[in-house]
Amino acid sequence: MWVDLIITLVKILFIFAITVGFFAPVLTWVERKQSALMQDRIGANRADIMGFTVLGLFHIIADALKMFTKEDFIPDGANKILHTMSPIIALVPALITFAVIPFGGQYTLFDKEVNLVISDLDVGLLFVFAIASLATYGYVIAGWSSNNNWSLLGSMRTASQMISYEVSMGLTIIGILMVYGSMKLTEIGAIQENFWMWGIFLQPFGFIMFLTASIAENKRIPFDAPEAESELVAGYFTEYSGLKFGMFFMAEFIEMVTIGAIMTILFLGAWHIPFLTSATLLSWFDFLGTTGANIVLMLIHVGVFFGKVVFFIWLQMIIRWTLPRFRYDQIMKLGWKIILPLSLANIMITGLVILALK
Amino acid sequence: MAYYVNRNTTMTWWERSYIPEIIKGMWLTSRRFFYNLFGFIPFFLGTEKDRRIMTVYYPEEQVQYPIAYRGRPVLAQNEDGQPACVACGLCEIACPAYCIHIEPAHNTGKQNQYERWPGVFNIDYAICIFCGNCEEACPEEAIFMSDDCDISMLDRKKMLYTKEQLLTPVADLQKRIEFTRNMYAKWNY
Repeated sequence: MWVDLIITLVKILFIFAITVGFFAPVLTWVERKQSALMQDRIGANRADIMGFTVLGLFHIIADALKMFTKEDFIPDGANKILHTMSPIIALVPALITFAVIPFGGQYTLFDKEVNLVISDLDVGLLFVFAIASLATYGYVIAGWSSNNNWSLLGSMRTASQMISYEVSMGLTIIGILMVYGSMKLTEIGAIQENFWMWGIFLQPFGFIMFLTASIAENKRIPFDAPEAESELVAGYFTEYSGLKFGMFFMAEFIEMVTIGAIMTILFLGAWHIPFLTSATLLSWFDFLGTTGANIVLMLIHVGVFFGKVVFFIWLQMIIRWTLPRFRYDQIMKLGWKIILPLSLANIMITGLVILALK
Repeated sequence: MAYYVNRNTTMTWWERSYIPEIIKGMWLTSRRFFYNLFGFIPFFLGTEKDRRIMTVYYPEEQVQYPIAYRGRPVLAQNEDGQPACVACGLCEIACPAYCIHIEPAHNTGKQNQYERWPGVFNIDYAICIFCGNCEEACPEEAIFMSDDCDISMLDRKKMLYTKEQLLTPVADLQKRIEFTRNMYAKWNY
């Protein structure tokens, strides 16, 4: 009992450390540095401590200090409680989704089965979508409570965009569910030990549509109409400053990690290396004993998983710095008139192929 | 005659299907990304001086400006330590911003001394527009545009440079002198 509790706590701490402690701050640096390299610039490099710049990594500390010391401004006529609450409502769902996302398989450590997922729900995939759509409330409340025209417009756009893309996102996922026959994310991950069972081979169109829809869910360029800085100052977080703004920012980056993790599990073979099954790897490290081999295997799997997540983050950043923003009506057209019918067609074709192969 | 640019507004079926064109754009940007990323590695290992990126860390690294670059104007100093200037005042007149102030001094009868030289020669860089007209007007090859452009100050009064600050040995200005000789020889006044 106590052992289980401690294992779960360690997993929760690990998730917190890697999302809030590592990915969220480092991605602010990666975003700037990657865009700089893509545009033949050098990028952030001015913040230094005793003359050392370390490739501009101290900008993370500088940013954090700036956000902590800024004035926390609440405009006149704003609803103070909701104005304070909304960044939390936006940030928390992004973190909660990690509760069901497995970042490794099952390992036997000291005669104890350890499953590298905080809560192995049978409806894991549904849980992810249910929680992720809760974040919409945070954005809508943020826009409404700021008592600002631009914020309200931005939050309306957020609401409509997120709802439209959630529909196509859910329909895209049905193809995956039909192929794997399970909603349990650990099971979906375990099936993909076979390289040719990876989601990207079984559902290539689903992959592209899911990637598009999830970027639209995250409101990043090319789907950043909700915050469109050339039209709506900064969209729903126009009136936010200091740490509250930082929380919106952090929510965006953590959502990028979440999207990367879900994409990895559904489409890119989760924690598996192509053509290398867990049994093969275990037999390689057999000389370390059962526990030692399992620890090595666990480290390899977690490393591979987060390597794939980093690849998806890189892909999202490349997309963000390559494409211009869609117009608002184009976003709606893409969502309702192109991706929705295509995902329905995807379901139909998947069903026919499954029927034919039976 | 009106000239119309063909902006190719009607997209083909291939272009309207988004995906191939997006992949084309991402291929271009990610190619640049990896090209520049791998350019950094030999630079940090010290095996290569060039990091493949045109941008430089400005105050730490500086590029050699072309000889035609017009930085702050300086006074040429002869080999015997005197300014080549004869205080004729032509640069003062040529200056469109009135930033040059000259008070001439002259020989009071001593042997082996210059006939005439500037007693006071001030250039206020807060006013100077770096047009190079003074250099062009000078008949004595005494004032030249140097390649120095870091002249920002916290105090506006410090922007006023006196004769002693302006004097630069002729040897340092040799390239610019040759350049101006070539340049102004082409124009027949």
